[in-house]
Amino acid sequence: MQIEKGQISSSQLVLLIVGFIQGSTLTVTFSYGVTRHDTWLVVLTGLAISIPFALVYIALVQKFPGKNLVQINDLIYGPYLGKLFSAFYLLFFLSLSAANLRYLGDFILTYVLPETPMIAVLIMFTFVCSWAVRSGIEVIARCNIIFVVVTTVIVGSTFVLLLQDMKLTNFLPVFVTPLKDFIHGTHVMAAIPFGETAVFLMVMPYLNKIKHAKSSFMLGLLIGAITLLTVTFRDIAVLGNTITIISQPSFEAVRLINIAKIITRLEIFVAVVLLVTFFIKISLFYYATLLGTAHLFSLRSYGPLILPMGILIISFTILIADSTMEQVSSASNIWPFYTIPGEFLLPSLTLLVAKIRGLPENQGGKFR
Amino acid sequence: MIGFILKKLRFWQMLKFNPKKEDYTTKLPQSEISHDLGKNLKILKDIMGTSRDIIFREFAFGHRGQVKGAIIFIDGLTDKSTINQSIIKPLMFDSRLTGPEEKLDNDYIDLIKTTMLYAGDVEQVTSINDIVDGCLSGDTILFINGCKDALLISTEGWESRGVEDAKTDAVVRGPREGFSESLRTNTALLRRKIKSTEFTLETMVIGKRTKTSVCIAYLKGLANPSLIEEVRRRLERINTDAILESGYIEQFIEDAPFSLFSTVANSEKPDVVAAKLLEGRAAILVDGTPFVLTVPMLFIESFQSAEDYYSRPYFASLIRTLRFLAFVISVLNPAMYVAVSTFHQELIPTPLLFTQAAAHEGIPFPAVVQALIMGVFFEILREAGVRLPRPVGQAVSIVGALVIGEAAVSAGVIEAPMVIMVAITAVSSFVIPAQTDVGAILRIIYLILAGTMGGFGILLGLIGTLIHLASLRSFGTPYFSPLAPLTARDLKDVFIRAPIWAMSTRPRTIDLKGSQRQKSNLKPDPPSDE
Amino acid sequence: MKNRVRLLKLTIICVLIISSTTGCWNRRELDNLAIVTGIAIDKIKDSGKTQLTVQIVKPAELKREGGGGTGKAYVNNTNTGDTIFGSIRGFTHKFSQKLYFQHNQILIFSLDIAKEGVQKYIDFFLRDPETRLTVLVLVAKDKAGEILDVEPQLQKIPAMDITNILEAQSATSQSSQVKLEQFLTRLMSKTTAPIAPLIEISGEGSEKVALISGMAVFKKDKLAGQLNAIETRGLLWVIGEVKSGIIDVDSPDGNGKVSLEIVRASSKITPEIKDGKIHIKVKITEEGNLGSQSSLENYALPRAVESLEKMKAAAIRSEVLAVLKKARKLNTDIFGFGDSVYKKYPKLWQELETRWDEIFPQIEVEVAVEAKLRRLGRITEPANPEKE
Repeated sequence: MQIEKGQISSSQLVLLIVGFIQGSTLTVTFSYGVTRHDTWLVVLTGLAISIPFALVYIALVQKFPGKNLVQINDLIYGPYLGKLFSAFYLLFFLSLSAANLRYLGDFILTYVLPETPMIAVLIMFTFVCSWAVRSGIEVIARCNIIFVVVTTVIVGSTFVLLLQDMKLTNFLPVFVTPLKDFIHGTHVMAAIPFGETAVFLMVMPYLNKIKHAKSSFMLGLLIGAITLLTVTFRDIAVLGNTITIISQPSFEAVRLINIAKIITRLEIFVAVVLLVTFFIKISLFYYATLLGTAHLFSLRSYGPLILPMGILIISFTILIADSTMEQVSSASNIWPFYTIPGEFLLPSLTLLVAKIRGLPENQGGKFR
Repeated sequence: MIGFILKKLRFWQMLKFNPKKEDYTTKLPQSEISHDLGKNLKILKDIMGTSRDIIFREFAFGHRGQVKGAIIFIDGLTDKSTINQSIIKPLMFDSRLTGPEEKLDNDYIDLIKTTMLYAGDVEQVTSINDIVDGCLSGDTILFINGCKDALLISTEGWESRGVEDAKTDAVVRGPREGFSESLRTNTALLRRKIKSTEFTLETMVIGKRTKTSVCIAYLKGLANPSLIEEVRRRLERINTDAILESGYIEQFIEDAPFSLFSTVANSEKPDVVAAKLLEGRAAILVDGTPFVLTVPMLFIESFQSAEDYYSRPYFASLIRTLRFLAFVISVLNPAMYVAVSTFHQELIPTPLLFTQAAAHEGIPFPAVVQALIMGVFFEILREAGVRLPRPVGQAVSIVGALVIGEAAVSAGVIEAPMVIMVAITAVSSFVIPAQTDVGAILRIIYLILAGTMGGFGILLGLIGTLIHLASLRSFGTPYFSPLAPLTARDLKDVFIRAPIWAMSTRPRTIDLKGSQRQKSNLKPDPPSDE
Repeated sequence: MKNRVRLLKLTIICVLIISSTTGCWNRRELDNLAIVTGIAIDKIKDSGKTQLTVQIVKPAELKREGGGGTGKAYVNNTNTGDTIFGSIRGFTHKFSQKLYFQHNQILIFSLDIAKEGVQKYIDFFLRDPETRLTVLVLVAKDKAGEILDVEPQLQKIPAMDITNILEAQSATSQSSQVKLEQFLTRLMSKTTAPIAPLIEISGEGSEKVALISGMAVFKKDKLAGQLNAIETRGLLWVIGEVKSGIIDVDSPDGNGKVSLEIVRASSKITPEIKDGKIHIKVKITEEGNLGSQSSLENYALPRAVESLEKMKAAAIRSEVLAVLKKARKLNTDIFGFGDSVYKKYPKLWQELETRWDEIFPQIEVEVAVEAKLRRLGRITEPANPEKE
């Protein structure tokens, strides 16, 4: 039984991952407070750490072609334990979508619509996401291409426009962050932008050429990391030491653009980037949650779940933190640990068990 | 409230489950022609009624005028001189020269058909139904007493507009001829462009009362067979009594009937339709209208004008890009203005903000209300200008221009920048005729979104539009391709228009094989002087 | 049945969306905004309260060309409160419109405030989402509020006028505009002292003009001293912020002066630690043209150019030495020497940081100036009637 009938091409997968990671430009902020001007290094180490785990995800998907995480769990751990693990994952995805929605809501409430109640912003945004999710993974992937292009153009052009404000000395001295902070920052980076790609365990199975999964995933990860690096580089070079106290460095950096008093006040573009990339990110989580739930309960389609799940996500978003401070501090200190089992431990364990149990048995075996 | 809605719904469902038995067809007695001429004529007179334009002409011919016959035709639909010269004259004059008839049976009528009639297209029929259909579409019927068959002689000829300049999609360079109302002329125009045996026309008759001829045109071997099959299937599904224009067909075969965007393209120009056929599309020609439908339609087709391909690539590419810009302006401009001036004043450069604020001083309406007023007023003005005869139309536009441009501002009802914005929007909206209707509706939606949530609302609207566009399909082809899904090879004809010699493959989105249309090394390579 | 559920869902979605969009919470029409272009912060001596002066634009007056001319295009108003935010909100008792800071151009601190420490006053301007880091920071030589009252001579709004004057300072490089962002960067740095241009009122009555003169130097967030025009340019030479300007030198033959225009300049600060002592090398590279001369000497000769270049280098050097002296006296690291040491020797820094106040005045600074004369302008020799 296959609920998702659509297929995505390998280039679409690349761009989905790129868009997904670009969606974390806002959340890189959590590392600035910890690792300051060494954050760009943290991006690299975070990437390095997440690559082996990405390989685990790919191996899992390739071992069970066309099967998503929930189905794989059922195969490997049997119906009961598998369902338990799957349920854990669904909760995990749900909380991730709520957390991301919360970052976005906080951002919008701080900078764009300060007097609007958060619930209104959330409802509107979730509605658009659910619209995308309803249309299936194909449509998300198609829209994503345009969003990635928009994001890349904006990130690139703000970088160029800020060249005159950049001071390379802001990067000096390199690597002075205490090791403890550095590990902390790396952990945040590995867990939040890169580790969250675990959600692609629900998406990758719909790749039309599964053998390209590895190259696509890696390429996407790399391009995404380059974007993150560009953004971090830009912010640090422009803002220097003030970056530690500024809550939205990208936004503030772009606010400083002033080319001959004509090209100025461009911060709206940062907001556009954040919104569209977050749209992709949240839609993917939302989609994964829905698809997983439908598989978990052996439904024929996830259509009827969209509305209740949307309401659930919104409620979760509001409940997840009382204030931005709580949200940011949990994102920087608690969240990375919360994600460890979902992003790193369980996939590895699953792969290990699959190896030990010799699954999948020959093609056309009883599990097919 | 919900109870009320449910009640309404139950009512609708009732309608749905017990549809009133509507008689879509005029049922004819399925009868055969009899030997007796008088009987035949009586049946026909019963069926056709007493309309004065239906002519029953009885006459005698043959050796010593022994044979009785009759022709029936509709005055106005037929060409009188053809009837006189090719039917009546040979029968009444030439047949006297023949010997006495031995037997009046079907052989005799065959004899007449093969030896006497000068008409090109003659068909031998036996059923009254066929006779009536033929007569109504301009054929002349020949009955001969004692024969069980009748002859259907093609004598169509009615007043119709000739091939004239196309009213829409005007070009400076390029063929000016447009389709006319006559299906035959239209197919001929197409065949003159594509002199290939691959050019195939499939005719069917749709509309139980109007009996409109509808033609599917495509290039065999080029068009995807499944596409043609799908077009055929959708056309056959149509079970209605009237098709008066291709717009009727369009609404019956659309993929997304509730979408704002049309997924069926139309054109009035043979060169445009020919080009589309040559890309592997199918065209649907409908009798009685110069507008020919082509499927599948892509969103970007609206931005491609015939002239793009006739002028040189640089200018064509510039214009192409400007068209996209104009579309964005026409849809988003008022919304952006409202969002920036009421939500995001921080984005306006300081000196401009002062000007803006000065212009807004003393205006009683919020920006969004002004934009709505002006927008609606503009649409009314446009509609008035389109429908009215030209001299009156000019008067309307002068009044409109005065009221919009001058009076509203000096009276302090509308701020001056708003007038500029509406004017820019209006002019931009005329750049892409194919999407004007969509633009007008989207503009209002975005305006409302901008008025309530500012830039956030606009962006959500844009994402929503994009999702919708990406999920639309037109006859199996993703509507928003080649942008989403991205087909890199087809981008040569989207924002830029590559030189003709460089477009060596057909668009992949239409022709899945992406087949070669010309040799790939056609870049002009003049010999150098030395 | 299916249709009914669908309709129900549609209704729920519609209700949710309509209810969430009809709020118009953030909509502010332009005429509901009081566009603030300048803010001045004073301290009331007796009560210790903060006095805030805001300059608000009256766009309608701004637009009125010629004609009326009586109305000012701006209005200044003051409000007092315990905190900045408190006194800003206090304006609601006086204006129907909400103060709008996104287009604020300048932020002037009075001398008292600067002496007291600006940290607690700038927090609002960093924290509030409506304020921008591109605001220009100034320090008034006396009361700040009065500066906004000075009627500009050419423009209609004082704050905009001051902004333009600050921008024009790059023509002499004897003062410099400091954005809040730059101020903040220096404030947050390890040792680098914040600087801000000084503004004062000169003249009386209708002759009153706002005048930019020199820079204020802060130690942490408190005013430590003032730099005059020459010292300011000295500072700008060191930090490589000289954009343009005129250097007057005595003509090599002794009769007359030569004005040399600065076209571009850059600097490089290289710290070195030798035997535990910090040694800083400042290398300044300058290029310029001959602007005007009052002597009759012909400088269109390589040798004359060389001597002029030397004199120019000496002039630059003296400006730099002047500011070094002042900085040592005030014991403020306006040059960012501390940061450059930290960047080069991060390991040693921890130990140096605590003693920086003692170390700074003792730092050995080597100034190397390389000045070049590139072009002579439209004429070569001066127009000399006696010469054949």
